[in-house]
Amino acid sequence: MDPGKFLLFATGGLADAAYLFIVAAGLSLVFGALRVINMAHGSLYMVAALVSVIVANQLGASIGFLPALLAAVLVAASIGAVIEVTVLKRVYGHEHLVQLLATYAIALIIGGAARLIFGPNYRTTAAPVQGSLSILGYSYSLYAFVTIVAAILIGAAMYGLLFRTRLGRNIRAAVSDPELLNASGVNVTLLYTTVFVIGAGLAGLGGVIVAPSQAVDPTIGDSVLVLAFAISVIGGLGSIIGSAVGALMVGEVISFGLINPTTNSFALAFVFIVMTVVLTVRPWGLFGRPEA
Amino acid sequence: MKQAGAWWSSWLPSRRPDRVRWALAIVLLLAAALLPPASLYLESQGLIESARFEIVLGVTALILALWAVSYNLMLGYAGMVSFAHAAYYGVGAYTVAILLQRYQISYFAALALAPVVAAVVGIVTGFVALRAVRLYFSLLTLAISQLLYSLAEGWYGVTGGDNGINGITAPDQLTDYPTLYYFVAAVVGLSLLVMFVLTRSPFGAALKAVRENRERARSVGINVKAYELAVYTIAALFAGLAGALFPLVQPSVVPSMLFWTENATPVVVALLGGIGSFLGPALGAFVYTGLDNSLSRDFPYQLDVLLGAIVLGVVLLVPGGFASAPDLIAQLRRRIVGGEATPVEAETRGEAIRMIDVTRAVEAHAIPTEHIERGRVLLKLEGLSRSFGGLRAVESVDLEIHEGDRHAIIGPNGAGKSTLFNLITGRMRPSAGHVWFDGRDITGRPPHVIAKAGIGRAFQITMIFPRLTVLQNLQYAMLAHRGRTVQPWGLADRIYRDEATELLDAVGLGPYAETPAGQLSHGDQRAIELAISLALGSRMILLDEPTAGMSAFETRKAMELVRRIATERNLTLLFCEHDMSVVFGTARTVTVMYQGRVLTQGTPEQIRSDPEVQAVYLGELDLDEQQAAPA
Repeated sequence: MDPGKFLLFATGGLADAAYLFIVAAGLSLVFGALRVINMAHGSLYMVAALVSVIVANQLGASIGFLPALLAAVLVAASIGAVIEVTVLKRVYGHEHLVQLLATYAIALIIGGAARLIFGPNYRTTAAPVQGSLSILGYSYSLYAFVTIVAAILIGAAMYGLLFRTRLGRNIRAAVSDPELLNASGVNVTLLYTTVFVIGAGLAGLGGVIVAPSQAVDPTIGDSVLVLAFAISVIGGLGSIIGSAVGALMVGEVISFGLINPTTNSFALAFVFIVMTVVLTVRPWGLFGRPEA
Repeated sequence: MKQAGAWWSSWLPSRRPDRVRWALAIVLLLAAALLPPASLYLESQGLIESARFEIVLGVTALILALWAVSYNLMLGYAGMVSFAHAAYYGVGAYTVAILLQRYQISYFAALALAPVVAAVVGIVTGFVALRAVRLYFSLLTLAISQLLYSLAEGWYGVTGGDNGINGITAPDQLTDYPTLYYFVAAVVGLSLLVMFVLTRSPFGAALKAVRENRERARSVGINVKAYELAVYTIAALFAGLAGALFPLVQPSVVPSMLFWTENATPVVVALLGGIGSFLGPALGAFVYTGLDNSLSRDFPYQLDVLLGAIVLGVVLLVPGGFASAPDLIAQLRRRIVGGEATPVEAETRGEAIRMIDVTRAVEAHAIPTEHIERGRVLLKLEGLSRSFGGLRAVESVDLEIHEGDRHAIIGPNGAGKSTLFNLITGRMRPSAGHVWFDGRDITGRPPHVIAKAGIGRAFQITMIFPRLTVLQNLQYAMLAHRGRTVQPWGLADRIYRDEATELLDAVGLGPYAETPAGQLSHGDQRAIELAISLALGSRMILLDEPTAGMSAFETRKAMELVRRIATERNLTLLFCEHDMSVVFGTARTVTVMYQGRVLTQGTPEQIRSDPEVQAVYLGELDLDEQQAAPA
């Protein structure tokens, strides 16, 4: 394969990995701290993507992106807060079965409500950064690089939050030793809400960032949720580094799966084969810890 | 439970809620059977527009009923959430579509083949998914579902890719709508009957046991994974059959049928009708089809919101319990009207032992020291060791326990008693050494094998099947232990009933036979455990802190029971206990462990006067007080 083409597909995989990482990191963070698998995570992503497209198109793509981003993340985070306070608080500590079904029900509700409010049709918006550049004979959209840089910045910000702040210390305590946290006088109720809101915000952020590069409709959350699961399961639920590695693997597998015309329709199948293999060999993922 | 009267009276359900349920089922079945003539009549009266439309709707509901009931085999009976069930439904539909379109074989042959194909796909993928448990199992089914979906969408040559397969027609024999309806009703009815028999059989009993308490199920001799795989495959088979009926009402089979979100339908339908009852999901199917038909044309999205709200309502109103609620309505009523308090969970207490109390306790509880017959060695440990990383929890322990002995293992916290028990019962594998039971090497064998060999166990935290009745706890344990749970027919609740009742009377629980086990007091739950061990025909019973969390009164009663049963049935006891009055009041032989090793062994009198033992305990006392000081 010529190096130009290789670079093209590698970059494509990286750009996919970028937004997938942001979404999966939110899912993984919530699971790590709250022990809840959020089946509605993809719905928050979808709602934010729709909101951002609508706001950006209202204001014009070049100046509208930042307000769109703020509005969309705010909406996702607010819905997240409502979900956490009204539903999740009642199912903490229950069987996974109950939590899966409860958040699944929320996903159904949000999906229906989104179709009701926004209609079932897809929408598009222009990227805030236009233009392209040419490397080794192939053309790249500038926005792909923006996505990659954004993901790196968000990853760094999460790292800073988790390891450099008091809140981060409490979150890490919630991940590794919830009982100790309970005994240490931290307001656990508030902490859980905060974590879930951050997770919801990350889902929203992912949706906003991906919106200019694809058609957005109320079903986009369904497929991204499954990919986010694949990523966080491969990387290990609860591990942010795991999400990054998992996102890279999934992004590149999808991208290079598309390279060969005889296999390109199975690109997604490869992801689930990777996921199945990892879970079979190491059920708690590459960077995760076995559940007690 | 013999009733006088006509020969058939014993087949009548004896409990009132059961009778209501049966009556409801019969009404439902009659209504289903009368749907086509009723529609035709209403059409002739001009009350409905098209009887054909209503009948096709009925067929759709029947197919959905089969799909949802098969889903509930996993969800309601085995407690498994699968996101791949739509995929097996899709596999069934695709199999029929492909066979019909490419090979022109008869629809009826394809209908027979499709469930087989779905079951094969189900057993292979289920085997992979069941490498993981609970949550991770659900996530693996999600991956499998998407994998199958990607195949359906990508494999143009076979599946027609994202266009799917179109233009499938029903066979000539089924073009008449009432005939079509009765054909589908016959297939669905027969399938439901098979599944119904299955759920009430000893096989179904094993599933319920797994759902209630995996760990306990394993310890009574159930191979948990095998049963989960079996029910997963059976569910896939019937989903495949439902999928194979689908082309009778829809001419196209498309890949999106396999997408994971499609699992919403059977989940919602099952929850709608009540997953605690067998026919609930079937009833839910008719309700759902009606709702879907009346709302989806004008309010398609409102319907999604409504369905989500229903699922959420059920899940939140009946938290935890709904997955295994024997009766959803009763649960709801209890929830709304307010009901019994749930029994308090046992907590293990790590209190230090005070030797000072011991002498007095022994005087109060001492049993006349019987002469221990040095009979056969029943359990023999040879150089048994287990380390965790650098920590040697158990280090080359040699121990012989004679038949009929009542052997206590004591030692301060962290002495390795629990690890030793786990090594004997197979919950942990030893790093080195051997365990012999009755001359048989059982080292490192899985728990269910060891349970079958004759070692029963009572757990530190009570292990029962909380939502099964006390009687069922015993009956199902017996079924599992005697290898009868492979039997997919017969009524599990009628097998070993007398024997179980007799055992319950022996432990004094006779009056509570029909009470859900989880509602009994803590001490009584332990008595159930003891009865289960007896039911398993265990010759040796391991009791891990049998009286932890009990009041003094309960402790005395429980130990009296243990002593009496052990004497009556010539059981060998091996127990560890912090309460010295229990130890010295029950044991004939005492082994003292310290830091993973056997310190000494002897009669209770020898141990009591051993200065080394006292040193160990006093050392622990000091340590405890040091730890206690800063907190």
